[in-house]
Amino acid sequence: MKGPLAKTAILLVGMYVFLKFILPLFTAPLPASLIFLYLALTFASAMIFYTMSGGGLDEFMGPVGRFLTGSGQAGIAGTARILVFILFPLLVGWQAYTRLAPSDMPPAENRTIHPAPPGEFVGLANPYPRTQENIMMGKGLYAAFCSPCHGANFDGKGPAAVGFNPPPANFSDPGTIAQLQESYLFWRIKKGGVGLPVEAMPWKSAMPRWEVELPDEWIWKIIMGEYDGAGQSPRTWEEEE
Amino acid sequence: MGYKKIFNVALGLTLIVTGVGVSCVFASDPPPEGETGSVAVRLFLTEGAVPADDPNAAVWNTIEPAEFKLAPQVHWPDRIQEVTVKSVNVRGVHNGQDMAILLEYADPSEDAADAAAVEFMVGDKMAHFAHGQEMLQVEGGDVNIWYWKKEHGKATDMTAKGFKTLRPQENQDVSASGFWRDGTWRVVFSRPLQTPDELDVQVTPGEWRNVAFAFWDGEIVDGAVKEKGSQKAVSSWWYIRAEPPPDNSIYGYVVLGIVLAAGFEFFLVRKIRRGNES
Repeated sequence: MKGPLAKTAILLVGMYVFLKFILPLFTAPLPASLIFLYLALTFASAMIFYTMSGGGLDEFMGPVGRFLTGSGQAGIAGTARILVFILFPLLVGWQAYTRLAPSDMPPAENRTIHPAPPGEFVGLANPYPRTQENIMMGKGLYAAFCSPCHGANFDGKGPAAVGFNPPPANFSDPGTIAQLQESYLFWRIKKGGVGLPVEAMPWKSAMPRWEVELPDEWIWKIIMGEYDGAGQSPRTWEEEE
Repeated sequence: MGYKKIFNVALGLTLIVTGVGVSCVFASDPPPEGETGSVAVRLFLTEGAVPADDPNAAVWNTIEPAEFKLAPQVHWPDRIQEVTVKSVNVRGVHNGQDMAILLEYADPSEDAADAAAVEFMVGDKMAHFAHGQEMLQVEGGDVNIWYWKKEHGKATDMTAKGFKTLRPQENQDVSASGFWRDGTWRVVFSRPLQTPDELDVQVTPGEWRNVAFAFWDGEIVDGAVKEKGSQKAVSSWWYIRAEPPPDNSIYGYVVLGIVLAAGFEFFLVRKIRRGNES
């Protein structure tokens, strides 16, 4: 196992093990398509390296040619060659089948959860001071208008939540309102689900267009109550911090 | 052929069967179920007439239902926070011409104002699930609503595109029939898969459509009907598809793929051998 091809194979296996099993210990798991891309880049790099230095293409591809023609092979290598020759057409047939067979799966949905807000809703500051009184009023309004879906505990588990797809946002999750500015929430509450852009699939959202029912002042106070109740802080521009 | 060669071929075949089997197990992901129910209704292909107007036909008991959770309608201001119908089991069949959809749900009392509805997006434009409510950044389409009410004893084929636009269509293509026993409604809707009416959902076997459901408990409480108008139980948009007829041409393409791959191997090896000889 000293040839360039064997070294490349070992490198690819090592790379795969690293990307698939070791990297997720430190960060989010990589999607399969990205792992494939990295392996393809690794293979291409190895090919360029070996064909530019020394022995050239023949040294690199020689074992492949000897394997395919079966010259001087016996035992396990011979078995593997037959195996490859049988398996390759079957894999092609299997691929053809899985591509052509009608799927029972509904179309995949790539819904953007936090799409960009319209320009007029960027960077607005809450015009009401963060007083205990305003927060309490916001929590009261939240309990009346928002909690049936978003939950009395701000966790998206209100009594009406179970029927909706997408489910109501869970504000106690650090991935929701903690990542957003107050002006973003103002947009989402005021314009509701029907105010979302196409990539967020507005036709699926049950969120009411609250501007029809609530004055802006109430919406700003609800935002205050939401952050306080969920134990989160709004995201701010760095220069403001 | 020597014993060694036979052994090698047998070993190879065993490994292939094992490998393909393992890849099948890992390739078929479980269906993407909603957190609390199904995501799609499958209209099973049957032969003969579909059980239109018969909520108790034997064929319904042979079909695994899709279950969808329901919530109070909250989108419109005239809302209530508690609804009677919490979930619905949906079964469907078609025969290439007609389709029938059975809704089965719990409602403790049989009342004249009990009602059920199935909603579809029409055409290619996406429509908001609350009656095709206007969207601010997306041009929406119509919805087609099949409505059944116990006291009417029939279906109404309706169209809507936004608040206060719900109206019966001129062409009534849908029939419905309901049967209540022991706290359970079984309501069956039926219609041809295709109609000449452009306001109707057109169902083509093999194609996915969007569907939603709504229910009203017509019980009289303190002299008033408990759920009416936009005070109702609703589902989100889910998917529905009429099962396509089996397509055997796929197997022809599979065989073609195998033959082409084997041919490629043959010519590749021949080319390498000739290259080595020269």
